[in-house]
Amino acid sequence: MITIFQVAYKNLFRKKVRSLLTMVGIALSAWVLVSLLGFNRGYETSLNRDIDNMGFQLMIMAKGCPYEAATLMLKGGTGLRYMDESIMKDIMKESEVEKITPILMSAVFDPNKGANGGIAGYFGVEPKSFAEMKPFLKFRQGKWFTDTNSHEAVMGFEAAELEQREVGDMILMPEKNVQFKVVGILDRTGTQDDGTVFVPLNTLQKIFNRPNEITTIGIKLKKGVDSGHLEEKLYKLPDVQIVSLAQVKDTIMKLISTAKVMVLSIAIIAIMIAMVGVVNTILTSVWERFQEIGILKTIGAMPWDVFKLIWMETLMLCAIGGVLGIIFALTLSRITDIVMRRILPYAPGGGLVLIDLKLIVITLIGILCIGLLSGIYPAWRAGRIRPLEAIRGEAGR
Amino acid sequence: MNRKIKDFPMIKHIVLALFLVFAFYTAVFGAVGCDLNDPDRDVARLFPESTGYKTIYTSILKKGGETLLTTVETRLGVKFQGIYETIDVPYTIYEIFTNKKKIGYIHGVNQKGQFGGIQVFLVLNLEGTIRGFYIQKMTSQYAGKLRDQKFGKQFIGLTIKDFANYDAVLGKSSGKVDAIKNPAPEAEADFRAALRATKKNLILMDEFVLSAQPVQSSEGGTK
Repeated sequence: MITIFQVAYKNLFRKKVRSLLTMVGIALSAWVLVSLLGFNRGYETSLNRDIDNMGFQLMIMAKGCPYEAATLMLKGGTGLRYMDESIMKDIMKESEVEKITPILMSAVFDPNKGANGGIAGYFGVEPKSFAEMKPFLKFRQGKWFTDTNSHEAVMGFEAAELEQREVGDMILMPEKNVQFKVVGILDRTGTQDDGTVFVPLNTLQKIFNRPNEITTIGIKLKKGVDSGHLEEKLYKLPDVQIVSLAQVKDTIMKLISTAKVMVLSIAIIAIMIAMVGVVNTILTSVWERFQEIGILKTIGAMPWDVFKLIWMETLMLCAIGGVLGIIFALTLSRITDIVMRRILPYAPGGGLVLIDLKLIVITLIGILCIGLLSGIYPAWRAGRIRPLEAIRGEAGR
Repeated sequence: MNRKIKDFPMIKHIVLALFLVFAFYTAVFGAVGCDLNDPDRDVARLFPESTGYKTIYTSILKKGGETLLTTVETRLGVKFQGIYETIDVPYTIYEIFTNKKKIGYIHGVNQKGQFGGIQVFLVLNLEGTIRGFYIQKMTSQYAGKLRDQKFGKQFIGLTIKDFANYDAVLGKSSGKVDAIKNPAPEAEADFRAALRATKKNLILMDEFVLSAQPVQSSEGGTK
């Protein structure tokens, strides 16, 4: 015996192109929806991972330093603000602090990096405290410096790749004409460390004639402590500013919120267009089968049977379109990732679009609900068709 | 008055945003290919009579795999080494046009120098003769001398045949290549690296384009 499902399925195949186009419309809106929801999850996950990989929750900088840190990359290490190392003692007194590590950022201009030259940046770090702060850093080759005064360098994965350096090679600091021996190359982390050249703090201080001066202090908090309370205390230190990575995260989320609202609006519009398309397709199909539905009723079909039949067609259209859209989203997530990276003011490392089973199920249920809603009106109209009027072809359409 | 930065919410947001530029600048790093930094500008400078160019992306893996790699290494006289000389390293070939007429090529390769990677670009005519030599990137105290046009001019007119006898290991040759003078004797390693890169560049161009079927191209910028 033929089922309602089979009848609905065959009905859809009677107008293949129209059904296909409607399905494509649904698929496109499902694609946008899945990609957007996947992006929301992926972006936050990647951002949290990036921030966790910083190794510390708070950074202390000399006032104005973040401005200078940005310009450091643009025009070299001129104008950086410095703090005295002695400030570290005051910070360590605070009960919330677990570990700290001092960093000296420096950059030099290399006129031979391309036609207009370029900036080469260096991070002066204490190997012991820095490595403790970032225990997740793994070495592809070699290890940390042997001596805090040595002329040795550890290169991030991409810095080594771009500079074609291996352990044992020499690197030259332009401007200063100082050579360093590469003693370690880090594995890829997906963070800023990949592009960084680390050298011993003391050595960098000597090269730039900045004895006992640093630009940044990374602070790792004890578990469960209130970072806000510590921030309040640290603000009392003279001429420093506190950068909380929780604030950084909030700021980034605010920066991208506009982009997210725009994409969400597009998704909602796409879904509404798809809904209208579904209603139009099914309604047209109902009018085309006006007499056929009338005959169905004369041979015993009840209004609810006709309603179910039409509703089933709508549901099938939406289900197939939704599945297609999810397949699009899964297979094209890499492209979505690239496009998002171009649009957004800041994109963390790793995948920006995270599509998992839960998201797929939620989206599919959402699409099916939309389908059920879209099908109510055409199915209701079909159920109301009067058999005799339909057979005579006189019903008010 | 020592007011806290948090008293200025707008400033705080700007500070944090700028901080991000530095803190997460890893995105500026890409693959280990060798592209012109600014193709529109560089093509116009290296090929003044050009009106446009097309960009071809290829690799040894795509063009011939292990067989081609062996051929290239045999012709170069030394095995490829390091992560920048692998079989799948992408190469960008710029096909140069005057109106619709192809007039030459620009092609660059990465080469390990004494203090890091150097990028050596050759400007070639359709027959593969060098008509321009350009070191895009080089870290060295003597980089200025090797990047100087005077040094580059010594390569003009040379072909793959001239480099056939160049020993990339010993840095010795005969004929025209031997006549190329090192402007910085202190930077002998970088001088040899530049010659090795030139030979590698010519071999790759010969294998990829000059003695091969045309490869798939995509439209690039135009002047």
